[in-house]
Amino acid sequence: MTTGESAQGPGMKFFVAVWIGLMCIVGIEVIVTYRHLPARQLLVWLLALAFLEAGIAVWYFMHLKYERAALVWSLLPALAFVVFMMDHIWPDAFRLMSMRLLSN
Amino acid sequence: MSEATAHAAGHQHTAPTGFMRKYIFSVDHKVIGLQYYGLGLVAVLIGMVLSWLMRLHLGWSTLAIPGLEKLSPAGAPGNVMTPEYYLSLMTMHGTIMVFFVLTNAPFSGFGNYFLPIQVGAADMAFPRMNMMSFWVTLTSFLVLMAAFFVPGGPPLSGWTAYAPLSAVGQAAGPGQGLGQSLWGLSIAIFCVGQLLGSLNFIATTLDLRTKGMSLARLPFSTWAWFITSVIGLMAFAVLLPACILLILDRTAGTSFFIPAGLVINDQLQPHAGGSPLLWQHLFWFFGHPEVYIAILPAIGIVSHILPAFMRKPLLGPRVLVGCIASIGFLSYMVWGHHMFVSGMNPFSAILFSVPTLVITIPATIATLLWIGSVYGARIRFTTASLFCLGFVSVFISGGISGFFLAQPSIDTYLHATYFVVAHFHFVMGVAAIFAIFAGTYFWMPKMVGRMMNETLGKIHFWLTFVGVYCIFMPMHYLGLAGNVRRYAAFTDDFLAPLIPVHQFITIAALVTGAAQLIFVFNLIWSRFRGPKASDNPWEATSLEWSTATPPPFDNFGGKQLVVHQEAYLYGVEGASADYIMQTSPETVKTS
Amino acid sequence: MEVSAGHGHAGLMEESPYGIPSGKLAMWCFVLSDAVTFSAVLFAYGYLRVGSPDWSTPFVFVPSILNGLVMTFVLLTSGLTMLAAVEAAKAGRTAAGTRWLWATCVLGALFAAMHLMEWRHMIEEGWRLFQNPLGGAVQFGAAFFSVTGLHLLHVVGGVVALAIMALGLRSGKYNRIDVEITGIYWHFVDLVWMFVFPLIYLMNAK
Repeated sequence: MTTGESAQGPGMKFFVAVWIGLMCIVGIEVIVTYRHLPARQLLVWLLALAFLEAGIAVWYFMHLKYERAALVWSLLPALAFVVFMMDHIWPDAFRLMSMRLLSN
Repeated sequence: MSEATAHAAGHQHTAPTGFMRKYIFSVDHKVIGLQYYGLGLVAVLIGMVLSWLMRLHLGWSTLAIPGLEKLSPAGAPGNVMTPEYYLSLMTMHGTIMVFFVLTNAPFSGFGNYFLPIQVGAADMAFPRMNMMSFWVTLTSFLVLMAAFFVPGGPPLSGWTAYAPLSAVGQAAGPGQGLGQSLWGLSIAIFCVGQLLGSLNFIATTLDLRTKGMSLARLPFSTWAWFITSVIGLMAFAVLLPACILLILDRTAGTSFFIPAGLVINDQLQPHAGGSPLLWQHLFWFFGHPEVYIAILPAIGIVSHILPAFMRKPLLGPRVLVGCIASIGFLSYMVWGHHMFVSGMNPFSAILFSVPTLVITIPATIATLLWIGSVYGARIRFTTASLFCLGFVSVFISGGISGFFLAQPSIDTYLHATYFVVAHFHFVMGVAAIFAIFAGTYFWMPKMVGRMMNETLGKIHFWLTFVGVYCIFMPMHYLGLAGNVRRYAAFTDDFLAPLIPVHQFITIAALVTGAAQLIFVFNLIWSRFRGPKASDNPWEATSLEWSTATPPPFDNFGGKQLVVHQEAYLYGVEGASADYIMQTSPETVKTS
Repeated sequence: MEVSAGHGHAGLMEESPYGIPSGKLAMWCFVLSDAVTFSAVLFAYGYLRVGSPDWSTPFVFVPSILNGLVMTFVLLTSGLTMLAAVEAAKAGRTAAGTRWLWATCVLGALFAAMHLMEWRHMIEEGWRLFQNPLGGAVQFGAAFFSVTGLHLLHVVGGVVALAIMALGLRSGKYNRIDVEITGIYWHFVDLVWMFVFPLIYLMNAK
């Protein structure tokens, strides 16, 4: 129960607008998918759009915008850091191709 | 979730009645803390017996150990341990010790008991979830123990359960059928229990501090428990899916971790496309923060106890908290140092080696702060303070070997030798255990209302302190000489001259193990016959000493404490006594 | 019983640095932890995909991608109804809040049902955790079923929680904060789908 609770967050009209926006992003994702891009480019586009979508959902739907900055700065950098560290595994994934057993 | 209504004085739930509600299904954090501690005690005794069996076999590999065949007819025909069974006992030893002793006792045990009290709260933020987390952890332990009694026995892949050995199922050897699956299930359940515990610790530390207990005034132990729970929140979150994927590989025919073309015992495994290295990455991404989860509460506990027996505050308290926090942060950046020889990208090795060396900096700073604080202090030598000083000694001993292992070039030689075994036993198996002992001798009076016997305690300390050095120091030498770890017997020519060293270590281990029985005896005897403890037998300052011994159901008898002081005001010039409790409103004129 | 956090009840406690009830903070921490879990699973998927020379991309627009789109629409809409429930609960309109909670619950159940139907369709085509009817990497099935399965588990858990919350709100057992906390969880489930849909479905579109 924070102070000024009733002031927290806009009304449903706004959320409907956000909802429409999110569906538009999904639509763009589908359009990009059928542009026959190379897989790597498609991945970059889709990840960027997914993060945008997620960011909007976290910021508005989950009301993080209306919380204290301290909460934002505690949660988001932690997740970003963990995901960044997990990226260290990619060199081994790429090498797998050249290490594969030739079957058949 | 029930109503989150505003109560004036925190919790107003009434004291429970009835045996079940008071002692078994209790929501009282103190009872839960003791339950975790009790679990840790049972686990450490089992783990220690397993280590005796291992050490006996290493010293005398043809030795018939009475009763072993009863435990496992296939694993020890004629009471002589097979190599596979040695590996099984080793796996269970590691798993039990790392999870159910080191992650459990200093964190879930003492943390549950004292964190709410040290912040001035009446209980944890979510008492029922707290109770649930204990029962989840206990379930995990029982599932693991079941592995001893199923056909095939316990798994033999080590506590690290490397794929593909752990993933292919029964084909890989005895214990790799049901035993390994039970291991995976147990650990997955354990992750859930830890997650629930972390949520409680974080919420309690941040939200339930009593008036005046700012973050700056928190005791070191509370800081350590809080930071540990943040680390655990994200570390166990990776182990859980790793175990799930492992279980899928074993039971559902997937190949997350199993490559193509694997032939085991002349059988081509029906798997393809997976990567054993992926398991190592997932496991160690958890595994490295895990070892800091094991040591940070110990660091917090020792830092908390030392000032009471030096009668002066620690040097650089905020620096120490910063060290604990930075160790926690850096712990996520170093996991690859377990994988230097795994076939991982060698350039990644540099990326992991540098943070590993960097992480030694806050650890060293903390050590220097302890040493600098002790220097010139008039120490009250009690068992608790002896174990704290012993902690500093073994932490240094264990930490120094870390400098060597942090470098890929050296680690290429030392990896999987007894040098590594020496390193992690000193920092985890000795240092963290010393902190548990220190905490026990320090806090047992508060928890059960009776003092432990100091004479027995000091005998316990000296026997243990000398004993652990006898056990683990020679292992450095063994490792440098090339003695490989996780071997059941040493049949190579170049290892034969080292067997007498192993025999010495075994004898030391058995003697040191026997010395622990003094502790157990002391614990039980004092519980019933020890002298009654006053509310503050150590003349200490933190909030647990401001309340009755043992604390009442709601910790402070319905009072809402007000905190006026920092945590370690010992030996303040001009004060009315040689210590100022946190609740004391006394102001001292600084000159 | 939970204790509401730090606006220092009559100055008797320290203020929480985040100024939110403990239950809400705990749910955010849980969301953080679960996000790390899903990240690990998705990384594992990516790792194996990058290393597989014969990865299949079997999802034809009709029915797979279209089905996925409808499921996405259903889940996003359930997020909207969840918001409506939270707004209603905050304004004290308990009956409306309960109705919106039930709407969210039903949409979630619909998502789960559609998902299970999709699974059945794929299993009929020969897809398994360990089997690829197109002859490509078997990891496709493993990744698909494990990632979507983990998500489905969270959806089902959420549906149950929403039902409990709807009943509890009406009976007065739960209040607006409990609804908000449930909302955070439910939005998180939607959040995960925002990554699962592009990475598992769109990246594997034919």
